[in-house]
Amino acid sequence: MSDLPILSIILLCPLVAFVITLLLPESKATAIKSVNALAGLVSLVLSIVVWTQYDTTAGGYQMMQDIPWVEDLGIRYTVAVDGVSVVLTLLNAIVFFTGVLSMWTLEKRVKEFFAFMGLLVFGVFGVFISLDIFVFFFFYEVAVLPMYPLIAIWGSTRKEYSAMKLTLFLMVGSALLFPGLIALFVNSGGETWNLVTLSEPGTFSEGFQIFVYPLLYVGFGILAGMWPFHSWSPIGHVAAPTAVSMLHAGVLMKLGAFGILRIAIGVLPLGAAYWAPTFAVMATVGIVYGAFVAMRQTDFKYVIGFSSVSHMGIVLLGLNTLGVDGTNGAVFQMFAHGIMTALFFSAVGFIYDQTHDRDIRNFGGLVGQIPVATSFFIIAALCGMGVPGFASFWAELLVFIEALRVFPILGIAAIAGLIFTAAYILRVLGKAIFGPTNPKWDHLVEPTAWLTIPRIILIAVLLFFGFVPSIMLDMIGSATGGR
Amino acid sequence: MNQPELFCPEFALLLGALLSFACAAIGTTTRTAWLVSLACALIAVGTSALALPYQGQPFEAGIYTVDAFSQVLKLGISVALAFAIAIAERQDSTRASARTEVHFFFYISALGMMMLVSATELLTLYIALELSAYGLYILAALHRHERLGSEAAAKYILFGAAASAISLYGISLIYGATQTTYIAEIAASGGSPLLIAGIVLTLAGVLYKLAAFPVHAWAPDTYQGAPHEASSYLATASKVAAVGLLLRVLSMAGSNPDHLRTILIVVAVLSMSVGNLSALFQKDFKRLLGFSAVAHAGYLLLGLLTFSKLGAAAAIFYVLTYVPIVVCAFLVIAAISQNGANPSIASLAGLYKRSPLLGLVLLVAMFGLAGIPPTPGLAGKWFLFSAVIEDGHIWLVLVAAVNATISLYYYLLVVKEAYLTPPGDRADIKLSPTYSVVAFVAIAIVTFTGFYPAPVWSMASSAASVLL
Repeated sequence: MSDLPILSIILLCPLVAFVITLLLPESKATAIKSVNALAGLVSLVLSIVVWTQYDTTAGGYQMMQDIPWVEDLGIRYTVAVDGVSVVLTLLNAIVFFTGVLSMWTLEKRVKEFFAFMGLLVFGVFGVFISLDIFVFFFFYEVAVLPMYPLIAIWGSTRKEYSAMKLTLFLMVGSALLFPGLIALFVNSGGETWNLVTLSEPGTFSEGFQIFVYPLLYVGFGILAGMWPFHSWSPIGHVAAPTAVSMLHAGVLMKLGAFGILRIAIGVLPLGAAYWAPTFAVMATVGIVYGAFVAMRQTDFKYVIGFSSVSHMGIVLLGLNTLGVDGTNGAVFQMFAHGIMTALFFSAVGFIYDQTHDRDIRNFGGLVGQIPVATSFFIIAALCGMGVPGFASFWAELLVFIEALRVFPILGIAAIAGLIFTAAYILRVLGKAIFGPTNPKWDHLVEPTAWLTIPRIILIAVLLFFGFVPSIMLDMIGSATGGR
Repeated sequence: MNQPELFCPEFALLLGALLSFACAAIGTTTRTAWLVSLACALIAVGTSALALPYQGQPFEAGIYTVDAFSQVLKLGISVALAFAIAIAERQDSTRASARTEVHFFFYISALGMMMLVSATELLTLYIALELSAYGLYILAALHRHERLGSEAAAKYILFGAAASAISLYGISLIYGATQTTYIAEIAASGGSPLLIAGIVLTLAGVLYKLAAFPVHAWAPDTYQGAPHEASSYLATASKVAAVGLLLRVLSMAGSNPDHLRTILIVVAVLSMSVGNLSALFQKDFKRLLGFSAVAHAGYLLLGLLTFSKLGAAAAIFYVLTYVPIVVCAFLVIAAISQNGANPSIASLAGLYKRSPLLGLVLLVAMFGLAGIPPTPGLAGKWFLFSAVIEDGHIWLVLVAAVNATISLYYYLLVVKEAYLTPPGDRADIKLSPTYSVVAFVAIAIVTFTGFYPAPVWSMASSAASVLL
């Protein structure tokens, strides 16, 4: 078992599904969906295996596989996981599997949809397990580009504009990453792209770190939805089809935060220390601003889209505290927010698929009409508010404790932002879910068993880590050094 | 002449030229001429691959050098030639009277290009340059719509003649400065100001072949007006030869490249920016590719301006992987073109439905040009940028990366047309077996090198290490 290159197998799951999808004819829609669901299930099971096999007491990078790739340039295919990657790999597998199930009713251009989606998931897995900067960036770009066709073809509401805006924003991020990442290689002597080697203290001078850090932070930060470069994100959320929204908010934005943690902070700690106060202020603005704007939205998806900006602000604030608790909280929040947003979007997507309407003002008393479907939405909403019992409660708690310690004023401001969060979530619940019943929607039907399964999985995960956060914190802590 | 086996790639091309000429002379059908030509092109690819490890000096030392550098580029040229001839199966953009004859010109100019990358003496180099150009001048003129063809050829010839005259003047200055025409001796002579001036003037002719600013203006017009297979050939083989030529010319600067570097930085930045910004507004797909070629000339120059082994290897890698990517684009053009007309971007509408394979080919081409994995476009840019940062110009990488972002916009517009716009009443496209094979081969090369760049990189790297 230990000899099996399990990480590479996880990585190959979506790629194999991608190839099979390309080979199958368009008419075999069910076969295509089944193949992808199976790939999702296999990668999910294997991710759980990785979690259980990972030795948290030993910590560090485990299950390493190292193959020379382009030898005389020092590029190597090096994959391994630490506590953070284990958590995020699991997150990606969960969202992949539940995402495929949520798209079970898709009928339009099924083959291409799942091909692009498989490519995207492949890229995301690759980023989470790569230790070589070139390979990391390769997968990063693989993950970003399929978003364009996925939104532009299967989306709604100004889809072409949103898809183009999203892609160009993310590519501007890449344009900053190019010089930043390559400078790491050249400045360290031009021998290795390995992140572990480059992370050793004393590799880079302080002046260099201060110069390069903002390139990397902003480059990755754009994908993490950092204020003020977030505007692609809510628009993209709104336009994307359900599974793509799930992947987009659930895992893709995490790539940015993961890049900041793994490369920007990991390799350039002195640069991070220098810039942390500045970027912490921007993160806090993101938290408050996102929540504030979400209050004014009338479209379900815009509410969730801006709430993502706010919640990712919490992740970025946690990372910028540079403390153990803050980082643990940030990674926990990446996981919790990924699952929660996936649940949110699949709940909204279910309602939209039937009504083709997402205007909150047009709904009322949905809980009486489709109690099961709305209960998913309510649970996601409670989780979004950080109610105890859900995973995000612990995540936010840790970030705020650390933030109060390191940046007291920002911490207070960020906590104040939570009031807005509660306000916009309760407003949606009060208007659309409860409130006076709108008889126009009496005909809505409940989700079938197939569509309930993915949502139940997501809720179970949220509750599980809400009640036993220690499992999660053990895992993350084995990488960040705090348990 | 000793060691005649060193010439086997050139011999294969000569064979192709003679057989094509014979086909034209005895008046075979177009189809037969094409089959003969394709067979010879495949033989050329095979011999070039076998000849990769050859090295030696078949004439008096220093005139004509066969080494890893020349052999790798010869392989690139013959692959580009084979692709162009395969695309020429459907010659409906070529004047009907010339369909049998075109092959001869393909081979003659390819022969010129091969000699170009081996020439290490300035007069040999100049003659090879002219030989490669004449075939292209004629190919560019053969569009079936006479006005288009004449315009394409006229621009190409006038620019070419002017550039070549300036180059010749530059060569005379170099001779004046060093009293020799052997590149190795010139490089060792130490860079006097007169020599640098001579190199700068010689560059004019070379940058023209590469379609770099300020001698780029022919590229969009000629790409647009030449027959599809000729444009494909111009865009690929000619670019490979130009990179080889440029590396040779620049190597003459020896240990004193600082002035040249400044000039090349300006040329690179302007080529990228002018090419990309102009491409944003194009409606004609071939014209768009013409401007994109100008931008890519700028990227290539990034590697050359570092005067380092890494930079040279990166440029060679980039141009080698550029060949199958551009072939993908021209394959789509040749396949969807109706009665030889140039496809507009709008005519790509619904391609995903009209021919799923062609849709995929187009996607690979556009992602490859934009530098999106899993195509080697990303690795190519990454290596080029590594060389530039190693040379200490981090801002230049930022400029280039922003340019790549701009270019993504117009490449995505093409993808959008093919994948989003419904086909309307446009008919489905049935690909010939040849085109299907070309499509699969090109996609296979692109994705394989995209995932695993090591084999092509090691070729490029060994080529560069001979030079520097």
